[in-house]
Amino acid sequence: MKQLLTALLVCVVCGFAETPPAVAIHNARIVTVSGPVIAKGTVVVRNGLIEAVGENVAVPADAMVVEGEGLTVYPGLFDGLSTLGQPAAAAAPATNGGRGGRGQATPAVATGAPAAAATPIPRGPEDRPQTTSWVKVADEISGTDRRMEAVRSAGFTTVASFPTRGIFAGQGAVIDLLSDEKPGEMVVASPVGQYISITRTGGFGGGFPSSLMGYIAYIRQIYIDMEYYRREKAAYAKDPRGKQRPDYDRALEGLMDSPRILLPANRAVEIERILSLARELKQPAVIYGGRETFRADAIAALKKDNVPVLVSMKWPEKSRDADPNEGDSLRTLETREKAPEAPAALARAGVKFALYSDGLESARDLERAVKKAIDAGLTREDAVRALTLSPAEIFGVADRVGSIEKGKIGNLLVTRGEIFDERTKVEMILVDGRKYTPAAAAPSGGRGGAVTDGAGNGEGIR
Amino acid sequence: MKVTGLLIACALAAFGADNTVTLLRNADVYPVTSPEMKGVNVLIENGKIAGIGAKIAAPKGARVIDAKGLRVYPGMIDSGTELGLSEIPAERVTVDTGELGEFMPQLRAIVAVNPDSEHFPVVRVNGITSAMTFPSSGTRGGGRGGGQAQYIAGQAALIHTEGWTWEEMAIDRSAAMHVIFPSVGRGGRGGFDSAMTEMFPGAAGGGFTLARRTYMQQVDRLSEFFDRARQYQKERAAKLPGFKPDLKLEAMIPVLEGRMPVAVAANRADVIRDAIAFADRQHVRMVLLQPREAVKVASELKAKNIPVIVGRVMALPDEEDAPYDQKFTEPGELYKAGVKIAFGTFTNEFVRDLPYQAAMAVAYGLPYEEALKCVTINAAEIWGHGAEIGSIEKGKFADLMVTDGDPLEIQTQMKYLFIKGDNVPLENKQTRLYERYKQRQ
Repeated sequence: MKQLLTALLVCVVCGFAETPPAVAIHNARIVTVSGPVIAKGTVVVRNGLIEAVGENVAVPADAMVVEGEGLTVYPGLFDGLSTLGQPAAAAAPATNGGRGGRGQATPAVATGAPAAAATPIPRGPEDRPQTTSWVKVADEISGTDRRMEAVRSAGFTTVASFPTRGIFAGQGAVIDLLSDEKPGEMVVASPVGQYISITRTGGFGGGFPSSLMGYIAYIRQIYIDMEYYRREKAAYAKDPRGKQRPDYDRALEGLMDSPRILLPANRAVEIERILSLARELKQPAVIYGGRETFRADAIAALKKDNVPVLVSMKWPEKSRDADPNEGDSLRTLETREKAPEAPAALARAGVKFALYSDGLESARDLERAVKKAIDAGLTREDAVRALTLSPAEIFGVADRVGSIEKGKIGNLLVTRGEIFDERTKVEMILVDGRKYTPAAAAPSGGRGGAVTDGAGNGEGIR
Repeated sequence: MKVTGLLIACALAAFGADNTVTLLRNADVYPVTSPEMKGVNVLIENGKIAGIGAKIAAPKGARVIDAKGLRVYPGMIDSGTELGLSEIPAERVTVDTGELGEFMPQLRAIVAVNPDSEHFPVVRVNGITSAMTFPSSGTRGGGRGGGQAQYIAGQAALIHTEGWTWEEMAIDRSAAMHVIFPSVGRGGRGGFDSAMTEMFPGAAGGGFTLARRTYMQQVDRLSEFFDRARQYQKERAAKLPGFKPDLKLEAMIPVLEGRMPVAVAANRADVIRDAIAFADRQHVRMVLLQPREAVKVASELKAKNIPVIVGRVMALPDEEDAPYDQKFTEPGELYKAGVKIAFGTFTNEFVRDLPYQAAMAVAYGLPYEEALKCVTINAAEIWGHGAEIGSIEKGKFADLMVTDGDPLEIQTQMKYLFIKGDNVPLENKQTRLYERYKQRQ
C-alpha cells in the first residue's frame, strides 16, 4: 500500500500516463450518465475498456485499486467543438484557402495548406475558394499540442476536433486526449463532420466570395455540384464505355465523405436562416455558436427541425478595456445577461445540445463557464450530460464514449466533491484506461503553471 | 437649345449687373430681425438693399416687380457644406474637398470653389443664397485616400451661391479655420470597438486604453501646433533679422488674433469638453460643428458662449436605444439651454433640404421664429457677417427670396430669388430634366 502511494506520488510529480493492466475504482459514487447514479459501486477498466461497472462488482486480483471513498466517478468530459490536437491551430496564421478544384497539379494533400503561393484570386464557385473540405483532422492529429494538458486537467478526456479555416474547412474527428503517443491511437472516430463557416477570416486576399450573400450562394452551389457529381460518377461506374470520365473533384469528395455538417449561427435570426439553408442541403446538420438559444423562437425553430446545437461556453462579457463613456445597447446587455441561460432553456425544451469550450483552455475558466450555466438554471445532471453523452450522441459515437457502461472506452474522470464546484478537486483522469493526474494546480489555471508570485509580492525584498 | 439657355443666362447676367435697380412692390416683408411689414416696397440698388417702406418709389429706369401677395425673406445660409468643392462624391475626380497632411491651415477652400457646379442652381431654388464651404468637412481627414489623421483641414469660405468666378462669390474668403478634433477610437488609427470584439471574438481591436492614449497624444500634437504658431506670431512681431516666414504658421495668425474662429468638428460629450478646454487654453474663438452629443454639454457651451452648427436633423438616432426623435429634438433642446445654433447639412445633396431641416426642428420643439433665424441671421452672426447678410435691412446685400408662402413649408414655391441684387434664374438641372421628360409621350 505504501509502495502504491509512493507510486502515486511519483505520478503526481511527473504527470505522465501510467498504464496498469487494470484499474478498479472501489466504493466510489458513480455517475454513469446513461443510467442511474450508483451511490457506492465499483468500476473496472481493463485494456482501455470498461470491463465492469456496478454496485457488486468484484475487484480483480491484478487490478490497481483506487479507494473510492469520498470520490465521484464521471465519464470523461467531452468538448463538443475544439481545435485541440492541431498544434498549428493554437497560433496558426491564416492558411491559404486557394483552389481546391479539379485537375490541380498540387502534390499529395497531406499538409492541409494547399498550394500556398501563386494562387489565382478565385472568381467564382468553380474555383472552390476557401475550401479544404478534403482535409481530415485525423490525418494531422498530434499529441504534442501544448494546450492538451490544461484541458485534460479540467477533466476532459475527449474532444471533437475540427479544422476551422475557410468556408468548407475540413473534416473533424473525435479524439481522446492522449499525450506523447502514436497519433493514430488518439482517434476515436473520423470523419465525424464537415466544419462550415460563413465569416470572413481574413487573409484570403479578396476574390469570390466576399459577402454573406456570396458565402451562402457558394455553399448552395457546392451542394448542387455535389449532386450532379454523384450522379455523373454513378452513371460512369455503371457503364464507363463510350463515356467521358468525370473529373475527380476533391472538394466534393471531401464533402461527400462527411457524415454531417456543422453550421454557424448565433443570433435567433441567424438560427432561423441557417435552419432553412440546412433543410435545402439535405445533409444532417449541427448548429454551433447558439448564443441566442435562450430565446423561445430560436428554441422552437431548433426543436421543429430536430437539429442539435453546440453551445459556446465563452459567454459574452464586457471587454475589460471598454470605453467607460460608451454605453451598451439593451440588446447587448440582454445577451450578456441571458446567454448563460441558454443551456437551461434548451434542456427544458428537450432540444439536443452540447457545450463546447470555444477557445477556453484553462481548467478554471472552463469550470467557471459551466458554473455560470448552472447558476442560470441548468441542473448539474444536464450539465454533465451536455459535456459527456450529448456530444457523443451528436457526433454518433455514443456507442463508444460518453457514459460509464460496460464495453465502452475507459474514459473516466474522478473527482473529490461534485463536479463544476469551485472546491472540487480532480483526482485522476483515465483516458483509454491510461491514468493521468492533473497538472498540479497551476496558480491561475494558466498553461505554464510555473508562475511564482514571490517577486510580485515583494518577497524578494524581505 | 443649350445655346439659347446660355444666351439667356448671359443676357440676364448682363441685366443683373451691379447697377441694376429693382423695386419689389407691395410685398409682405419678413426681415427676421424685426417684425413683418405688410404691403411695403423694397428697393434694390447696386446689389444692396437701398430701402424698405410703403412710400419708396421706383427710380427712373428701375425694374418693377409686382409682389402683391408674395412674401420676401432674407436668403438662407447653410452653415456647413462642401458646395463648389465636391460634385459627385463617388467620382473622385470631381471631389476637391481636402488635401493630405496633418496641419494644413494655409489651404483655402475658396480657391477650389467651382462656380459652375450643378449643385448651386439646385440649392438656390430652395432659397439658399449663401453657404459655408468647408475643406474636408465632416470627415476625419484622410477619408479620401489619405493615410494620416488630419488636424487642420484648412480655411472655410463663406460664399454666395451665385457668381461667375469664385472671387465674385466670396463673402469671406477665410471665414473659419476648420479644425478636426481627435476622437477616441472608432475606426481611426489605434481605434477599437468594444462591441465588435465582444460580438465577434478575435476581431481586431486594441482596447480602450490604447485608443485613449492615442487620442491624448493627438490632442497634445494639436496643442503643440497652436503653441508653435503663437511663438511664430511673437517672432514675427519682434521683426528680428533673419526671420523666416512660414506659410502654415502665417495662416494661423488671424486665428490667434481672434479675427477668425476655429470651426471644430467633435462628436462625443467628453471630446467636446476637451475641445472647449482646448479653445479656452488657446484663447481662440470656437464654433462647434455637427456634434453628436451637444445636448449633454449644453450648459458648458452656453457658459463659454460657443455656438453650435447642428448637423442633419432628419436622421436616425445615434444609438440603438435612443428615442426615435433624438435628432429631431436636439435643436430645440440646445435652444432652450441658451446655446446659439445654426444649421448645416454637411452633404451637398442635402443642402437643398436646409429649410426642411429647420422645419423638422420646429415640429419638435424649436420655436418657429428661432428656426428662421437659425437659417439666416444666426448663421450670419456666427460667421461674423451679421452686418452684411442674414436679414432684410437697409445696406445689407440684397439676398432675398420672394415666395408665395412660408419658406420652411415644402409646398411653398420660390417666385424670385435675388443674390446681391441679381434676379437669379430658377432653372436648374432638375427643372431641365422635368421639362425634358414632360415632353415624352
